Amino acid sequence: MDILIPLVDASSYILILVLIALGLMIIFGMMGVINMAHGELFMLGAYVMVMAQSLSLPFWLGIVLAPIVVGAIGLVIEYCLIRHIYLRPIDTILATWGLSIALKQAIVLLFGPEAQSVVTPISSTLTVGEFSYPLYRLLVMGISLFLIGGTFWLFLKTDFGLMARAVIARPDTAATLGINTRRMYRWSFVIGTALAGLAGALIAPTISVDPQMGLGYLVPGFLSILVGGAGPLAGVLVGGTAVGGTNSLLTVWISPVAAQIAVFILAILIIRLRPEGILGGRREK
Amino acid sequence: MRNNLPTLIVFVAMGLLPLVTSDYWTSQLNYYLIYGLFAMSLSLTWGYGGILCLGQAIFFGIGAYVMAVTTKGMLDPIPTSFYLGLLLAMMAGAAFAALLGYFLFAGRGIHGAYLAIITLAIAMVLERLMSNWYELGGYNGLLDIPPINLALFGDPIDIWDPLPTFYILWGIVFTIALWLSWLTQSDVGLKLIALRTNPDRLPYFGFRPLTIRLQVFCLSAAIAALAGALFVTIDGFASPTLIGFGLSTEVLIWVAIGGKEVLIAAFLGAVLTRLTESWLSEIFGDYWILILGTLFMISVVLLPKGLIASLIDWLQKPRKST
Repeated sequence: MDILIPLVDASSYILILVLIALGLMIIFGMMGVINMAHGELFMLGAYVMVMAQSLSLPFWLGIVLAPIVVGAIGLVIEYCLIRHIYLRPIDTILATWGLSIALKQAIVLLFGPEAQSVVTPISSTLTVGEFSYPLYRLLVMGISLFLIGGTFWLFLKTDFGLMARAVIARPDTAATLGINTRRMYRWSFVIGTALAGLAGALIAPTISVDPQMGLGYLVPGFLSILVGGAGPLAGVLVGGTAVGGTNSLLTVWISPVAAQIAVFILAILIIRLRPEGILGGRREK
Repeated sequence: MRNNLPTLIVFVAMGLLPLVTSDYWTSQLNYYLIYGLFAMSLSLTWGYGGILCLGQAIFFGIGAYVMAVTTKGMLDPIPTSFYLGLLLAMMAGAAFAALLGYFLFAGRGIHGAYLAIITLAIAMVLERLMSNWYELGGYNGLLDIPPINLALFGDPIDIWDPLPTFYILWGIVFTIALWLSWLTQSDVGLKLIALRTNPDRLPYFGFRPLTIRLQVFCLSAAIAALAGALFVTIDGFASPTLIGFGLSTEVLIWVAIGGKEVLIAAFLGAVLTRLTESWLSEIFGDYWILILGTLFMISVVLLPKGLIASLIDWLQKPRKST
């Protein structure tokens, strides 16, 4: 029974990490853009909830608004910034880094540097025998699973997904076949940012929301992608499980700081020894 | 010598500045010199060698801590000497770079964006590690680090005043800037450009990309460590923030704004960004960081070569045509 709660904790962290990594992966896989501001978009999602709460909007309306607001910001970012540089992968690191600084500071100016809290809409716990767990967290896990499934469905089963995969595989050929690659890029970026915003909104009641929170999810998100393998979307599942799971489970035995250090080192070792990731597949630069 | 001209002009002009400014600005200039040196180290590995290291502060921090423990006399049998501290700091930086570089680059190696993310993760790991290493002050860092001490043996000759400190730092940084400028214009620079632009073809000419990559990485790390070591002598304080994410970001911005492919542009990028920062942060307050982030985005989009490098290019063009 002692191990069950850490396992559920681990699964909940893994699911959020996978959501973040999926967004990163879509943007990276599609446009080759390394989005260093992804953590800040995640943070924006959480701040939409802070806003919604201070306007005393219903909680679930906030959850619906977060991806829309953050996705709209993503659209603006794509138009103003990303479309100018997506052919210069290294410059995307720099420009989105500047973006992350600007977004972080904008939040500090609007909400102050201190941590905010979002009240959980459901405070009850689920109790089965000796096992009891906050219901909201279980719900978040369910929603995350649904979203991850939905993203896979979008990219693997729909016409949009087919075109997207065509653009990923052979951008030039896809364009010749009449696929509007620019529009595909734009919408993938928006989907990626909306996912980040939604993840931030969902997690907001369970953590303290502050302007620095993005980085703590960005780097594990990237490590998940690299550990899992940059090829298929499924790599994100494996990578997220490996990075998130190891981190949560190690925290049970050693301090959170030591756990994070250990996970980073492990991830770096895996990436070094298997550059194509655990799942293998084609290695990209 | 022709392309050393911008370096000479910049340093001579900078060397005259403290004669007309107040002590406060001279002590600020001391920091700028060190940040400029640090920026040149990143320009060397990134702009010339094509190794995008997002954790350049790793080496700055190592240099800072090694200098701190040496001059504070925390390494028992080793004497507390300024010169020895500098030497040990540079050696430690280079040694760590050699280990890290071999681990990262050997075999198929890690390059480009992957390398950027991994070096960033390593910087974060080291910052956490230093925050929890209580023998080295942990989160609070090490205080009361002695200033520059010119004595080789015997009684210390401590340099506390900003003006003499400035000329000592200026001398060191100027020498290194000239040497690097010369080095990057020699055959070594040619090899570095080949490494950056087309590493796969280097072996056809009998060069090992791994060797060149390691050499430039270690040299850059040694210079970054020297900057870190000099930094703690004037700041008197070594903390985990010197080794981690924040400083790595800042140096990246300076170098990108200045121009990564021209050493003196990277140097000026650091100096000018810091200068503007201390000016404008008083006028704009908290809005300054927002403005900096935005300006950085604009400069990456519009001037991928960097602001100052583009300016130097533009200034040198008409002379070439005549």
